Amino acid sequence: MSAQVAPADLTLRYPEVGTGPVPTDIYYQPEFYDRELEAIFKRAWLCVGRVEQIASPGDFFVKEIGTFEMSILIVRGKDNVVRGFHNVCQHRGNHIELEKSGNCQLFRCPFHGWAYALDGTLAGVPDAEAFYDLKREDKGLPTVAVDVWEGFIFINLDNAPEQTLEEFLGQQGRDLAGYPFHLGTNTFEYEGIVNCNWKCMIDSFCETYHVPILHKRSIIDTLAGPDNPFGRVLDVRFKAPHRTISVVGNMAYQPNPVQGLAFQYAPGPSITSGSVDEKTTLPKGLNETRAENWSIDVQAFFPNWLIVIGSGMYFTHQMWPLGPNQVIWQMRGFLRPATNAAMRFGQENSMVELRDAVLEDGNTLERIQRSMNQGLIKEFVYHDHELALRLQHHTVVNWVADYERRFQSVKR
Amino acid sequence: MSRLPAEFASLDHFVDDWVLSDSRARSTKRFGSDYGEVREFYDQMLAVAPAVLEYLSARQLGDMDEPDERLLKLMLSLAEIGPAIEWYEEVRVKDAFPPHRFTLTQQIPDCAAQE
Repeated sequence: MSAQVAPADLTLRYPEVGTGPVPTDIYYQPEFYDRELEAIFKRAWLCVGRVEQIASPGDFFVKEIGTFEMSILIVRGKDNVVRGFHNVCQHRGNHIELEKSGNCQLFRCPFHGWAYALDGTLAGVPDAEAFYDLKREDKGLPTVAVDVWEGFIFINLDNAPEQTLEEFLGQQGRDLAGYPFHLGTNTFEYEGIVNCNWKCMIDSFCETYHVPILHKRSIIDTLAGPDNPFGRVLDVRFKAPHRTISVVGNMAYQPNPVQGLAFQYAPGPSITSGSVDEKTTLPKGLNETRAENWSIDVQAFFPNWLIVIGSGMYFTHQMWPLGPNQVIWQMRGFLRPATNAAMRFGQENSMVELRDAVLEDGNTLERIQRSMNQGLIKEFVYHDHELALRLQHHTVVNWVADYERRFQSVKR
Repeated sequence: MSRLPAEFASLDHFVDDWVLSDSRARSTKRFGSDYGEVREFYDQMLAVAPAVLEYLSARQLGDMDEPDERLLKLMLSLAEIGPAIEWYEEVRVKDAFPPHRFTLTQQIPDCAAQE
């Protein structure tokens, strides 16, 4: 075992999470799922996109939040301020914008033509004099709290968020700030629906104990390799409610022929290359132990957003629950620009290898969920280096309990 | 007129099957091909790939003629089928979530200039 792979006993750093088995009931109980939506998804800041998607005044995109069947309109105003609105006409409730993205000066509802300015105010009503006591100032688009961190746009479905985005992202947000996220201008996105709990899907990307087995045909030699036969991590850090997993890279990895050519012509090291771009200055929170055999971090932002990040590219996973047993899985890759045509080949290989590797991850999820639903796995016992999964369980349970203690007792 | 740059005319017999519209079409092609066909494409492409990449590294996205674009698209197909040969030794991803349930909703254009 390489001396540079973390020893056991990471878990003991966080005595509050214990070392015992963890019950699986929160992964399938419909009643707990309902409580999660109220306590977590209606309170936490949720990432919905990047500022580059709305670079100019009047640019907008519509984000469908499948979890709540909500349609959210994100707009850059004439004053350059990024705002969020429910995409709901205040006349009869139709959606005012049906395109996924675009640029406009006025949103006009395609039902009766009510028009809204970029700041959400009601700007026009056809045949307005035929309404009784219409108070335009009360009929603006319903606002959604929006803030931006490092170019990522977040919303909060709580009308009066308890924490600012900065407070919510806390130490993990501060420690990752400064990474050149804006260089990942060339994006691709995959999406699918998986019949598993949202937390089950997040778990699969938050440990590498599975790498030597599940990924034995693909990324085993880049992220594990002979010095790390059991897929140990470099580090797991809990910056509540968020978590970072630092992943080993095998610096002696010899790529396959096509892969090697792709690495040579990629605009930055691929996630699957196990190598590092020496020119990128890493922020404090990325490879925080400054290990020499580092490849990537998984920076898990509570509740449903993971940035898998290397020195040359990054991608995000986002999980939008549709029910206790179903989730929308969105994976978005951010690649640096190709400065010549050969680099387009490197980009394509980065995308394809990433997709193939995560398809391997995805194959376990529906089986795990069925096992839990059938009561055949009532608890999880976690390897020390599966600590990030234990931390998620701890955080979810505490977040729900905290919310119910503080708010539901008041209501009763 | 050759469909590819003259120095790579030996790859012309791949143009009909492996010059495809976009990333989505390339993955459909890979997962629907038989392994022998993919293997033949891999072997012949790999033999010239270093020279092709050197050629393409002197070309700019958004400013290429059609033969150059076709050549790049052949290389993008090579990128798609690389793991089929180098990881799985079959066209599909072994023991995988079904690819048709995890689909590209946004793609990087093949030949357009990038910022």
